[in-house]
Amino acid sequence: MLLLTVLVLAGLPVSTALAQRVLLQSEVASDTLYSGFGPNRGYYNHLYLGYAPVIGEASAPGAALRYGASGDFFVGIRNKVRLHQALAVGIDLRLDWLTYSLVQNAAKTVPNAQQHSTENLSLQQLQTEVFTRFNVGRRGNAIGRYLDLSGWGGYVIGSSHSYTDRPGTNGTRKTVVTERGLSYVTRWPYGVGARVGSGRYALLLRYRLSDSYRGAEKELYPEMPRWLVGLELGWL
Amino acid sequence: MFRLLSLFRFCPLVLVCLVAGAAPLPAPAATASVPTARYWVYLRDKAGMHFEPAQYFSAPARARRLRQHLPAADSTDFPVRPDYVRGVEQASDSVLFVSRWFNAVCCRATPAQVRALRGLPGVMRVEAQTPLVLLPTAKYPAVRMSSPEPLTAAERYLARQQTASLGGQAFQKARLDGHGLRIAIFDVGFNGTDKHPAFQHLFRDKRVVATHDFVRNRESVYGGGSHGTEVLSCIAGRLPDGTPLGLAPQAEFLLARTERMLREVYVEEQDWLAAAEWADRNGADIINSSLGYTNRRYFPEQMNGRSSLVARAAGMAVRKGILVVNAAGNDGDDAEWRTIGTPADGDSVLAVGGIDPDTYLHIEFSSYGPTADRRLKPNVVAFGTVLAATPRGYEQVQGTSFASPLMAGFAACAWQQNRQLTVRQLFEQLQQAGGLYPYFDYAHGYGLPRASVFMSPHQAKIPPQVDFSKKDSLLSVIIRPEAAFLPGFPLPMFTDSVAALTPGEALKAPKLGREAIVGPAPVEAAAAPLPRPTDYLYWHVASAEGVLRRYEVREVRQRVVVQIPLRTLQSGDLVRVWFRGSMLSYLVP
Repeated sequence: MLLLTVLVLAGLPVSTALAQRVLLQSEVASDTLYSGFGPNRGYYNHLYLGYAPVIGEASAPGAALRYGASGDFFVGIRNKVRLHQALAVGIDLRLDWLTYSLVQNAAKTVPNAQQHSTENLSLQQLQTEVFTRFNVGRRGNAIGRYLDLSGWGGYVIGSSHSYTDRPGTNGTRKTVVTERGLSYVTRWPYGVGARVGSGRYALLLRYRLSDSYRGAEKELYPEMPRWLVGLELGWL
Repeated sequence: MFRLLSLFRFCPLVLVCLVAGAAPLPAPAATASVPTARYWVYLRDKAGMHFEPAQYFSAPARARRLRQHLPAADSTDFPVRPDYVRGVEQASDSVLFVSRWFNAVCCRATPAQVRALRGLPGVMRVEAQTPLVLLPTAKYPAVRMSSPEPLTAAERYLARQQTASLGGQAFQKARLDGHGLRIAIFDVGFNGTDKHPAFQHLFRDKRVVATHDFVRNRESVYGGGSHGTEVLSCIAGRLPDGTPLGLAPQAEFLLARTERMLREVYVEEQDWLAAAEWADRNGADIINSSLGYTNRRYFPEQMNGRSSLVARAAGMAVRKGILVVNAAGNDGDDAEWRTIGTPADGDSVLAVGGIDPDTYLHIEFSSYGPTADRRLKPNVVAFGTVLAATPRGYEQVQGTSFASPLMAGFAACAWQQNRQLTVRQLFEQLQQAGGLYPYFDYAHGYGLPRASVFMSPHQAKIPPQVDFSKKDSLLSVIIRPEAAFLPGFPLPMFTDSVAALTPGEALKAPKLGREAIVGPAPVEAAAAPLPRPTDYLYWHVASAEGVLRRYEVREVRQRVVVQIPLRTLQSGDLVRVWFRGSMLSYLVP
């Protein structure tokens, strides 16, 4: 916007005060240019974050999870290209922290049968997700209400197995052990998803198609639950 | 575990339900579990209907039509065919509103019912209606600019100036105070209006003729929000000492609550339409609507006066002889929107922008024109900062919401002076009363209207105060010598040249022997006086089609006030300059 409103203020330098002052100015053509960027314009991008708890059961006993504590926290940037008032496509890039908090019981086999006070398997991932958006209803330059259908994939940039024992060894209050770079987790997870949203809020559903483990552990360990259901908040 | 799995199994249904407001699941009939949405059912005809205007319209409504030489009724006033309405009632979930003006029925229905509605005899088309947010055009949240009391001297001054700037004293002197005019106000609520001392005279004289809450379908409108209270005060409110806050304290009022003023509140366009039909029936002469739709449903390029139902409803109200005054909007400082909202974009709607009471220039937040189809908006301007009555007392508030009622009061006085004017004649005269007329720009429209234009219509024509000079590659605008004197501040030809003083004002050298040591002159104070509206020079470049390419307002500090490179002008362009009450044009060959 090229509009300027310059009000005369006492105390301005004399040279400025004497100059010809433009109090208001508008170049109509440029001031009324319609942006191609916006929530319902040709292109839009925005940041978002969310949390999606893991739901469902492992494929066999041995990897029971603490629900609520097991989930996926993510932050990312969404890019959307509008094709039509009711149709858009887009791609997300996000950082993703997935944690499986393991229940400590006699049946536990992942990653071993040892029991601790708490035990987590954590994966840090860089993910991308392509989606097709179906919008509902007429609207202006607003996100509106929508249904997204997506496919996602990523790379595990870090993995860890950590546990806490209380009391700890050698008389300590607690012992925390973290093992990084797990060789048995899948490096390239992928899956499909769906999202319904209104404005900045969305309810999401993700299903992992890839297996959790690779190598010999793939046969040995029960497969982790494949579903995530969570909420997402857009920073529009 | 079980509960979580249950949630998972239920999830697809939950997901669908989130978008089901406009895409509900198909079902043979509406039940509590099948969501419905709002639809407009447009009907084909009103065949066989009879209409008795004397029974339907109030006496003021009939008188208004008579005065403006309008027919007592036309087909849009006829009732909707009851057999069609019955059909819609039976085929839909519920009927919400029946519009005579648009021969349409607003109802709630499921998709299955919509299919059935489309097959009904007499149904022309069925359109889904999207929930909307109607945003008051007040400047929120910075609307409260002062504590409720006691009033400061500056606030009392503002209260006087908001009407005086429009020439309120001239109207008062001529006993023009809105008497005999009926003004409808559509707003979010009128909290405390019935108890506020600012409106005692209205209730004492029974001049709040009717009220209706279209949101809750009840009579009382004294709840839901205080925005309407503030707006009403800018037409008819008074300070405890009797100072009027608006120009039409003796008008009659119809108060309609058309919108909610709560968090995340969605409203529908038909509330505005229903209120307009109600106002028409009850004899409204003027509708003041300090509301506007913007980016939740529309794009700036759709602000053409035809895209929204509410703009078409406003246009229909004008056809019935009602002047519709609407706030331009508060999006001037919003780079994403910037332009006026709807229904201010309507061709026959008087869109009112805001000016700063200190500078008399466009106030930053006031929305700009033109419309998407390049028509002039706003039409006129008034103060965008006012002292208004609020439930807490009197407070300084900001927004074009308050410029609009100031203008509605002005229009009431102008119409009171000549009741024979048609609404279109009044509309034209209100524009012609603008301080800049016939000059205009997209920030000020035709400027701040002056009551004096109505009081003495044959005012002496002011000769041009500037000349055009085309030299080399420049088109210069030069202030004529006789206009080149600002009170106490003679203009130099250029600011770096020696100041030229009139003989009378030239400093006289002290007599010999009487010289005295004087302190340094207050250079800055003398050199930079606060700008006065009369010192402003407005200029614009309009295309051959009359659409502005560029406009500016300059503070006049030297005689050569504007220099335009000729290469920036196109053949057929018109350069117009307004200075001190006169306009001069230059047609680019």
